[in-house]
Amino acid sequence: MIEVDIELVQGSFVLTAAIRIEARTAALFGPSGAGKTTILDAIAGLRTPRRGSIAIGGRVLFSSGQGVNLPPHQRHVGYVPQDVALFPHMDVRRNLLYGRHPGVSPDLDRVVGMLEIDRLLDRRVTDLSGGERQRVAVGRALMSGPSLLLLDEPLAAVDVPLRRRILPYLQRVRDELRIPIVYVSHDRDEVAELAEVVVLIDGGKIIAVDEVNRFHQRRRAE
Amino acid sequence: MDLWRITWFTVLCAVAATLLVLPPAVVVAWLLARRRFPGRALVETIISLPLVMPPVATGLILLMLFGRRGAIGRLLERIGVDVVFTWKAVVLAMAIMGLPLLVRTARAGFEQVNERYEAVAATLGASPARIFLTISLPLAWPSVLGGAVLAFARALGEFGATIVVAGSIPGATRTLSVAIYTYAETGRDTQALALLLVSTAIAFAALFAANRLVERRAA
Amino acid sequence: MRVTPHRHSLRCARGGLLAAALTAIVSAGAAPDAQPAAVTVSAAVSLTDALTAVAERYGNEARGSVRFNFGASNTLARQIVNGAPADIFVSADEAQMDVVAAAGLLKDGTRFDLLTNQLAVVVPNDRPRTFKSVREIADPAFKRIAIGDPAAVPSGVYARQYLQQEGLWDAIAARVVPTSSVRAALAAVESGAADAAIVYRTDARVALRATVAWVVSADRGPRIRYPAAILKSADAAAAQRFLDYLRSDAAARIFERFGFARAAAPAAR
Repeated sequence: MIEVDIELVQGSFVLTAAIRIEARTAALFGPSGAGKTTILDAIAGLRTPRRGSIAIGGRVLFSSGQGVNLPPHQRHVGYVPQDVALFPHMDVRRNLLYGRHPGVSPDLDRVVGMLEIDRLLDRRVTDLSGGERQRVAVGRALMSGPSLLLLDEPLAAVDVPLRRRILPYLQRVRDELRIPIVYVSHDRDEVAELAEVVVLIDGGKIIAVDEVNRFHQRRRAE
Repeated sequence: MDLWRITWFTVLCAVAATLLVLPPAVVVAWLLARRRFPGRALVETIISLPLVMPPVATGLILLMLFGRRGAIGRLLERIGVDVVFTWKAVVLAMAIMGLPLLVRTARAGFEQVNERYEAVAATLGASPARIFLTISLPLAWPSVLGGAVLAFARALGEFGATIVVAGSIPGATRTLSVAIYTYAETGRDTQALALLLVSTAIAFAALFAANRLVERRAA
Repeated sequence: MRVTPHRHSLRCARGGLLAAALTAIVSAGAAPDAQPAAVTVSAAVSLTDALTAVAERYGNEARGSVRFNFGASNTLARQIVNGAPADIFVSADEAQMDVVAAAGLLKDGTRFDLLTNQLAVVVPNDRPRTFKSVREIADPAFKRIAIGDPAAVPSGVYARQYLQQEGLWDAIAARVVPTSSVRAALAAVESGAADAAIVYRTDARVALRATVAWVVSADRGPRIRYPAAILKSADAAAAQRFLDYLRSDAAARIFERFGFARAAAPAAR
């Protein structure tokens, strides 16, 4: 369960978000500049809200009232940013193993097999294609044994035919590893394939929280 | 031959001075690049002072601190450590004069590292210390190295502070630049000239290397 | 554009003021000096306090003004040889005066021995000592002994000469800290950086944080002479006036106050 109730200020932009999600996969949907990435950053601990609270599965990550603000390295939140940000000075294997925590992390072979990146293990990061990078980045986040996975526009940098190919990997992650996923998207079809719940955001405010079917009805009606 | 002994001594001291300041300078550079903390502007300014102050003034301050009657010198004397007018003072003077160059160059290097990498590393469970050692430092390494070579070159050419706090004791504290001055002052012009040529050649080589290193950036 | 009457008179006033100022400047440059130009004296740094006092008296008696350049005599000689402007040179030893003479820069017939001095061993005043004999300087407790660079600084040359004569030079040579001038040696002791220094007795008198451990007697010590001369490039009249004053009884009294003795029978060379 993901509980977020925060107010975050960034310059002149104010984000107010209060959401409770019980579903396993949630999408944050909205136009660019709506505040989607900001919410991910807040959950990951990369930005501190002015006030409020964030709790994942009952575990409090941030609470202005209780004076709790866990630093990112203690939150167990896997993050795949929009620009992927694979470590350029390490090969694929070292990137994957960077966040590994014995006892908590899944088996490397399993993750690598699921994402089909076994051939890439000894490659330099700069030699990878866009789609390969995405998968490695997801793998890296998974290998840290997170209790929540955050994906920021995971398919945005990938061209359309490739998207169809990557989507199944994300579905596999969702189904096989059973880790809750929150991802940001502005693509309707992506949302349809992956999410159970859709949070609509615009201008720093939550507009609606729908189950995915209702979300589609709403869109069709427009 | 005296010339080579002086050169070797100077190079050795310069290497020691650079290695001495490297760890603290790198840490300070990273802090200045990545962290806000109270007194940050003050730290920045104090570190940069040796760059702007007349070197003899810096030397005088070191003399006042580390001399037998000085605040630090007094304590060191009790444990039997002499700094002023020994090779330790040479290394100290060189280190202080090279520090700001190293900090500034390394800081620029750290600032060039994409903060995203450090942020992702944190979400993967890396503590700030681990992030520094495995992400920031490796990616900023060419600048750190370039700064170290600059500090080394500065140490080689250091004169003002050295002569004040270490003097010109033959065989003990007479560095290349101090020897040039002493020989010139006492009429030994040929020797002064020979040392001049050697010191120019070394400084040239060191600076050349430094520039090449700083130009090379991490991917 | 028609100039209004008010503006016109303002302009006239400004122009008149400008003309007056220019006239004043030009005539000031052309008029004979009301005061003689300052005499520039390059002098051994050990003479700093004494010579400044003499010059002050000279000025108070409206005889003229003096500008000083104090430094180690070898440094000064080098400067003069390389063209530094000076009217008079007072050195702490013959050797450095000879350097300037060899370069042909001394005015003939003006060189003479002005003063003498004695060497002294000084120690920091928080570790006072009095020697019963000069051999005590070889005490291992003196880890660093500051003297002017014996290669050329007069006080260091004298010191080495004396210690060699006493058979002590080899014992202390490794512990010698050569300094750029005698006052630098004194400063080293005062700051505690050196454990002892060999300076002039006159320096010890003005020291604030150093005390005398030993004075080298005139008969056992080196023959210390301060030659003075006018340089060829000088304004001879003004320089000669000051040089004569230096030999006067009034100046002698001031020198004595600082511990200097007049050189016996000044012989013009």
